[in-house]
Amino acid sequence: MLYREAGQFKTSYDTDQSIFPIRQDRWVIALYMAVAIFAVPLMINDYWANAVLLPLLIYAMAALGLNILVGYCGQISLGTGGFMAVGAFASFKLTTAFPELNLIIVLLLSGCITAAVGVLFGLPSLRIKGFYLAVATLASQFFLVWLFNKVEWFYNYNATGQITMPPRDVFGFQITGPEAKPAITYLFALGFIMIFGLIAKNIVRGRIGRMWMAIRDMDIAAELIGVRPLMAKMSAFAVSSFYIGVAGGLYFTVWLGAAEVTEAFDINQSFLVLFMVIVGGLGSILGSFLGAAFLVLMPILLKNFMVDWLGVAAVTAKHVEITLMGVLIIFFLIVEPHGFARLWQILKEKLRLWPFPY
Amino acid sequence: MTQIERVIGDTLLKVENISLGFGGVQALSNISFDIKEHEIRAIIGPNGAGKTSMLNVINGFYHPQEGAITFKGEVRRTMRPHEAAKQGIARTFQNVALFKGMSTLDNIMTGRNLRMSRNIFWQMLYLGPARREEMEHRHRVEEIIDFLEIQAIRRVPVGKLPYGLQKRVELARALAMEPELLLLDEPMAGMNVEEKEDMCRFILDVNEQFGTTIALIEHDMGVVMDISDRVVVLDYGRKLADGTPDEVRGNQDVIDAYLGVPHDEGEA
Amino acid sequence: MSDSLLYFIEVTIGGLLAGVMYSLVALGFVLIFKASGIFNFAQGVMALFAALTLVGLMEKLGVPAWVAIIMTVGVMILLAWLIERMVLQHLVNQDPIILFMATIGLAYVLEGIGDLMWGSDVKVLNVGLPDGAVDWLYDFNIYVTKLELVAAATAALLVAVLAIFFQKTRIGRALRAVADDHQAALSVGISLRTIWVIVWSVSGIVALVAGIMWGSSSGVQFSLSLIALKALPVLILGGFTSIPGAILGGLIIGVGEKWAEIYLGEYIGYAIENWFAYVLALAFLLIRPQGLFGEKIIERV
Repeated sequence: MLYREAGQFKTSYDTDQSIFPIRQDRWVIALYMAVAIFAVPLMINDYWANAVLLPLLIYAMAALGLNILVGYCGQISLGTGGFMAVGAFASFKLTTAFPELNLIIVLLLSGCITAAVGVLFGLPSLRIKGFYLAVATLASQFFLVWLFNKVEWFYNYNATGQITMPPRDVFGFQITGPEAKPAITYLFALGFIMIFGLIAKNIVRGRIGRMWMAIRDMDIAAELIGVRPLMAKMSAFAVSSFYIGVAGGLYFTVWLGAAEVTEAFDINQSFLVLFMVIVGGLGSILGSFLGAAFLVLMPILLKNFMVDWLGVAAVTAKHVEITLMGVLIIFFLIVEPHGFARLWQILKEKLRLWPFPY
Repeated sequence: MTQIERVIGDTLLKVENISLGFGGVQALSNISFDIKEHEIRAIIGPNGAGKTSMLNVINGFYHPQEGAITFKGEVRRTMRPHEAAKQGIARTFQNVALFKGMSTLDNIMTGRNLRMSRNIFWQMLYLGPARREEMEHRHRVEEIIDFLEIQAIRRVPVGKLPYGLQKRVELARALAMEPELLLLDEPMAGMNVEEKEDMCRFILDVNEQFGTTIALIEHDMGVVMDISDRVVVLDYGRKLADGTPDEVRGNQDVIDAYLGVPHDEGEA
Repeated sequence: MSDSLLYFIEVTIGGLLAGVMYSLVALGFVLIFKASGIFNFAQGVMALFAALTLVGLMEKLGVPAWVAIIMTVGVMILLAWLIERMVLQHLVNQDPIILFMATIGLAYVLEGIGDLMWGSDVKVLNVGLPDGAVDWLYDFNIYVTKLELVAAATAALLVAVLAIFFQKTRIGRALRAVADDHQAALSVGISLRTIWVIVWSVSGIVALVAGIMWGSSSGVQFSLSLIALKALPVLILGGFTSIPGAILGGLIIGVGEKWAEIYLGEYIGYAIENWFAYVLALAFLLIRPQGLFGEKIIERV
């Protein structure tokens, strides 16, 4: 590696458990964060915010949520789209009913509401596992989409069935609406992701994370250790749904600005986030970020390459994108089921020894 | 650590008239025996005798159709496994039920789960109470890691360890629960002579230093005769004999069961 | 007979026949699951792909329907071989969930390639199946199409053939062995790879039949692949490993949906069909997780 970690010994259990035990790693992360917080806003423009950075951050949040459920607790869910819808509609209803309510509070509350819904729809996991559970979560996906279509109260009786985000500001900075500057919106989303990313990491390295992983690995043995499956699974659904709900809220309020439920939150969304989790790495916080980044950037790069460079029709590019996504999923499942996160670890191992082969 | 003078206490666990059947198969028929505090009790018998089923009944995984279990004075027939864990019963498994996706350290830390209680909000921040609790338990776990001499494999994902070490980690996890009654299901299966001697030593140390009562299923007769205080022999779900190792060794029924004397005419 | 009773009969028959269509797709699932333990999410897309290929061949090459069908069968066999070679072979003995996700990937690949090869607009499929309503029932004011009856008959025939295949033949037994335990099957000399190619081919042919039926009635279009999602509740009801279960499950779902739509629709709201099947399946899962005919899984410690 560019720096050696030899000679850095841990003298207390505390420092042994830290997220970035190697001193230089901490500097690198600090550098990334500095760039993200200070440099990016200076260079950002509408296109970059809307096409790349905002979806990346928001999907990272959703992927974090789903990873907690699927990667750490082993409960498969295909209902992500539906839960994002819950977050979005909750935000919409809250902000239209209480215009004075701070957007941050709105989003946090939406997360809580989604968490409650998640626990409700997660109850079947106490009886069923594996793809049976996947099918049960499909029930929630289809039901929620139908619900938000059917019950007009949810979209304030708007004739088109669409929900639109009114302009809102936080502490004087315009976050949503036509006046909002991309830098501000970006920093808003970034703030959420950074804080909740840290929280997620803290939870999974402690007692609750271990509880989830025990259920995932061998739930019978977990019970014999004294882990209550009810607590473990429901807490996983709750936390996961919270994250996905906040992501859905951000998706609607800060990024899209307007949404129609069948388009924005259908089953393809569920698959997309699941793919991010797989490609990034199941059971890895870092993986959630990497997977989201990859699956947000890949279509953009592909489209730019095919449409702008090769002059291929946009429709065809879309088909190629679909095919490529499928190929990538299969590729990762065969070659590295633990996704980019594991590949990154392996790369670090190799770089540690570089230029020696072993 | 001080050597505690081992005194066998009163009855810790008593099973009475336990019968357990699955569909057409009667796994256990009318089994009764007791386990005294601080003793090492072996449960032996040919394959299929119902030994594992007996352990499963004790720790709540199987529910017998008849009979009662008295543990620490409380009588019950059935119990959920995590309640058994709460009451102080820990166990290991024939097929090593470790959490393969986690490291050794994490696996053992899960054993502390019942004793950790800081709720999710403190966990999120990883400050103050949550952190202190984590360190406290880490300390205890490290003591167990030292005791079982597995320091080197702390961070290794358990799925990568050789079988013998996995069994040791499983024992560590059970010890992390600080149980009063430890159920060991063939802890030495698949080990070579050296590994068996190590495991024997650990089991004896656990019994002597922590005073843990141990119920042990084992096939190696040498081990059984050496370390156990009393022995129960099962065969085809029935109790054949019950007593000290010497008494059991001389029992004709036991000899017949193990050597396979014809039960019916014409059977070898 | 009263009008409402006649209407009820029509709705029920319609439901049963729709159910037969679901069953056809579910059959393909059951085959693959029974023989390889894989839950093939791509089954619906395979039906779409088969139908697309059929139409494409008929249009581009102008061959008569029955020739095109034979050629498509060939394509499906080739596809099965490719899938085995490039995907299944590398995932032997992985977790079922990994295999499931691989089939999701496969669904995307097939969808993309199908679109690239034949275009994504709606196509008309005409293989010469009878058209129009069944006359003598029509006299009773019950509207049932000949196509639906043909579909039902075909499904019945398929089921009978497959059931015999599984129970009586040597290959059928080998398929069941593979479904149970890959490694054990390997160790008794069963060639996993050949078995898988056979199974996926048969499944592909079943998908083709399903594709023809669906495509003839509602045109060949993307929504065909969504049928796969509908087949999941069918499987839950019928059990993943049972062929009669797939049929029965399909019928129950088909009828249940129609009844719910017509009779509950006025109270709860329309378009219940979108989710009713799943909720029904969910309810079933909670009561009887292995479905009507499936095998109960007992976990041993």
